[in-house]
Amino acid sequence: MDVLALTPLLAELPTERTHLLDNLGRIRREVGPITPELSDALANHMNLRLGDVHEVVSFYSFLQVPVTTYRVCTGPICDCAGSRKLLEQDGAMEVPCLGHCDLAPVATRGDTILPGGEDRPVTYATSVGPALGLEQADESLTDYERRGGLAVLRALPTAQRIVEELKAAGLAGYGGAGFPTGLKWESLLREPAPRVLVVNADEGEPGTIKDRYVMELRPHLLLEGTLIAMRALDCPEGYIYLREEYATARARLLAAIEELRAAGLLDGLTLDLVVGAGAYIAGEETGMLESMEGRRAMPRLKPPFPTQFGHLGRPTLINNVETLAHIPAILQNGGAWWAALGRDGSSGTRLWSISGAVARPGCYEAPNGITLRELIDDHAGGATEEIGAIVPGGAASGILPPDALDVPLTRDALREYGSGVGSAAVQVFPRSYPVLRLLSETMRFFAEESCQKCTPCRIGNRALHHLFEQLEHGEAVMPRWQVDEWLLAMEKTSICGLGQASPIPVRNAMRIWPELFAPLDGVVST
Amino acid sequence: MVEFTLDGRPATASEGELLVHAAARQGVFIPTLCHDDKLEPYGGCRMCVVDVEGAPRPMPACATRVAPGMVVSTNGSTTDFRRTLTEMLLTEHLDPNPGGRPNELTDLAQELGAEAPFILPDAKREPYEDRNKLMGYEPDSCILCNRCVRYTQEVMQCSALSLEGRGGEARIVPTWGKSWLDTECELCGGCLSVCPTGALHEKFLTGADVEESALTKVKTTCTFCGVGCQLDLNVDPATDRIVKVTSEPHYVSNEGNLCVKGRFSFNFVHHPDRLTEPLVRGEDGELHPATWEQALQVAADGIKGVIARHGTQAVGFLASARLTNEENYLIQKLARNGVGTNSVHSCEAT
Repeated sequence: MDVLALTPLLAELPTERTHLLDNLGRIRREVGPITPELSDALANHMNLRLGDVHEVVSFYSFLQVPVTTYRVCTGPICDCAGSRKLLEQDGAMEVPCLGHCDLAPVATRGDTILPGGEDRPVTYATSVGPALGLEQADESLTDYERRGGLAVLRALPTAQRIVEELKAAGLAGYGGAGFPTGLKWESLLREPAPRVLVVNADEGEPGTIKDRYVMELRPHLLLEGTLIAMRALDCPEGYIYLREEYATARARLLAAIEELRAAGLLDGLTLDLVVGAGAYIAGEETGMLESMEGRRAMPRLKPPFPTQFGHLGRPTLINNVETLAHIPAILQNGGAWWAALGRDGSSGTRLWSISGAVARPGCYEAPNGITLRELIDDHAGGATEEIGAIVPGGAASGILPPDALDVPLTRDALREYGSGVGSAAVQVFPRSYPVLRLLSETMRFFAEESCQKCTPCRIGNRALHHLFEQLEHGEAVMPRWQVDEWLLAMEKTSICGLGQASPIPVRNAMRIWPELFAPLDGVVST
Repeated sequence: MVEFTLDGRPATASEGELLVHAAARQGVFIPTLCHDDKLEPYGGCRMCVVDVEGAPRPMPACATRVAPGMVVSTNGSTTDFRRTLTEMLLTEHLDPNPGGRPNELTDLAQELGAEAPFILPDAKREPYEDRNKLMGYEPDSCILCNRCVRYTQEVMQCSALSLEGRGGEARIVPTWGKSWLDTECELCGGCLSVCPTGALHEKFLTGADVEESALTKVKTTCTFCGVGCQLDLNVDPATDRIVKVTSEPHYVSNEGNLCVKGRFSFNFVHHPDRLTEPLVRGEDGELHPATWEQALQVAADGIKGVIARHGTQAVGFLASARLTNEENYLIQKLARNGVGTNSVHSCEAT
């Protein structure tokens, strides 16, 4: 029956493989969850092997479930806020972080976000920010222009000038890896045009809500940054890869793109939205490229890097949403101005997503180099419970003890703790939330989101999840020296950042709370 | 020619050569599990990682091409990684020997002294049953190296196997979990020929207690068609019977690939009804053994008789599909020049 329902839609679906994910998303929304029969029919329509489409459909979490499924966030913050209770509802589906940690625990039904599992409006908690100005939402392009928007795009400096300003600003990518943006742009310019721009809007690092805030509150700001990059770097094609769960951001971006198109600002360019289907690893830049090309989002081996061999083999720049959103302000006021916004030797400001045991969880623009205490007390209204542990920048950034509250949040200062700023997603866990539970939940997330390609990530994360689950019961499944060996193998031999970084919080916790891991020393051998 | 340094010694590689191949030619063996020369580099199992000077982390030798001046070390820290990665793979390798095929993982584990510290709680996979009689699949032996799937995609260009799901639930299944007979699979057995652990295996060998190392390989040419695939009959010396058929990647004309007939249809060799000498039907209506000379004479006389009674157009030649191009050429020569008929056909044409 469902195949019959598909027939009229099929005629509208493009057959290039780059449209596979999009086609599957449309079929899911307009016909129903992807069944083997629907998958095969689409494969035949697109002249793909049946197995290729099967592989893709099964890789993403949402393609085989109805649009209206009740999805419950089980990210660490929502888990800590009691999301397990929401799972008791019939047909509830567990999903990793939904990117609404400021409203934890959250669930969604279809495109509707349900804060606390209830049908009430999504609210924003933010503060006055010098570069991004999230304190005031732009309802339209007119709003945006009235605040000085589009000035840079309309009087675009040369690519060389822009690169110089970005270097002077010291802007480093805000997706989590922190690669200097100026250098990335410069390396793209060395490759032949035409080039491709991809905006990484697949925000999925647990605790991170900042890109959603930008897209929902100031979509035109992101788009101006995007168009600056496309015009300056000779990228006639641009894509915004957006996670499926961000329905409001999707609507706001689509509307804003139409406004820009009507204003003639897209002339000569194509800018398309690519909507994901539930896979954290699609946020890894080469996983994203694979996903956009209609394959499983399994990260590529590097080198070559995307700037050399990216979308369909072309030189491609992949920048995070927040990174691009900073660019209009940097070019408007100069790199030196932006750099001076930072503190303790760091440049500029960034968006800090703060969630957990604080009075006002939200997303605040504040200087790089700020301390956790300032973020919690001055921005987020103070802690609501005694703090037990803090995750400073997303699941893979590490875990900090309460005595790190006064350390400046910079790469250098956190190195001493073996931790990093990552995506600046500060998650404050109360003392009542056990550290082993936090570790176990974090590893469960990594294990479920591992693409499976490489051994250390696929098995290592599952093994660590098992290890911490057992440790919660005081049992050790392997000796400490072997845990260390496995962590090292994961860090050094995993293909991408997922497996390379997941040992970080484990090592942090072992150092901060050695007593929790004492049972590991009791295991003599295996 | 590219010059590089391998374990402190000067070495050479050809332009664009993979490190794993260049090292092998210098006598340095780097273990691999997911690598197969027939397939595009994958770099998934990470067993072959080596230290390359200047690289931030070890590089997979199976997917890294030798660059001029590269300084490579295969015997430093990476040997420990090999043991650790093997331990990891063993934590979900529940059935090491489903079909009597050699197991590269357990061989490696033995060599490195690696053991699983525990079995992962989610290691057990759903069993796979299939109604075909040739190929079996034991999911609990699979290490997700993806060689089989890549073989079907890259070599056979067909849709028989898929890498399904993600994370701990990822597994290899025939497309959409159907029976192979309901997919595009032609049962060529190529997937099992590249499987490193025997998870994919000859079904008829399940429980047969056959050790591949005990078998004698007899190299021969497949008799089923004119391609001339080179294959090895694997003979059990104890019974002198063919147990299975394999082929090597370096064999000419088929590069180790076989079709369902070449790989699986060897039972006729031992069949009691198989003809092993010419037979001529006697006056008594029964078939009697004869020499080739006698048999050919009877056939020639028969054809001549038909020509004498009904003319040359009454004779036609139907050539066996097993013949080569050259043999088919000779048949039409015999038909047209020898007999004088244009009625000649090969069942390879249909």
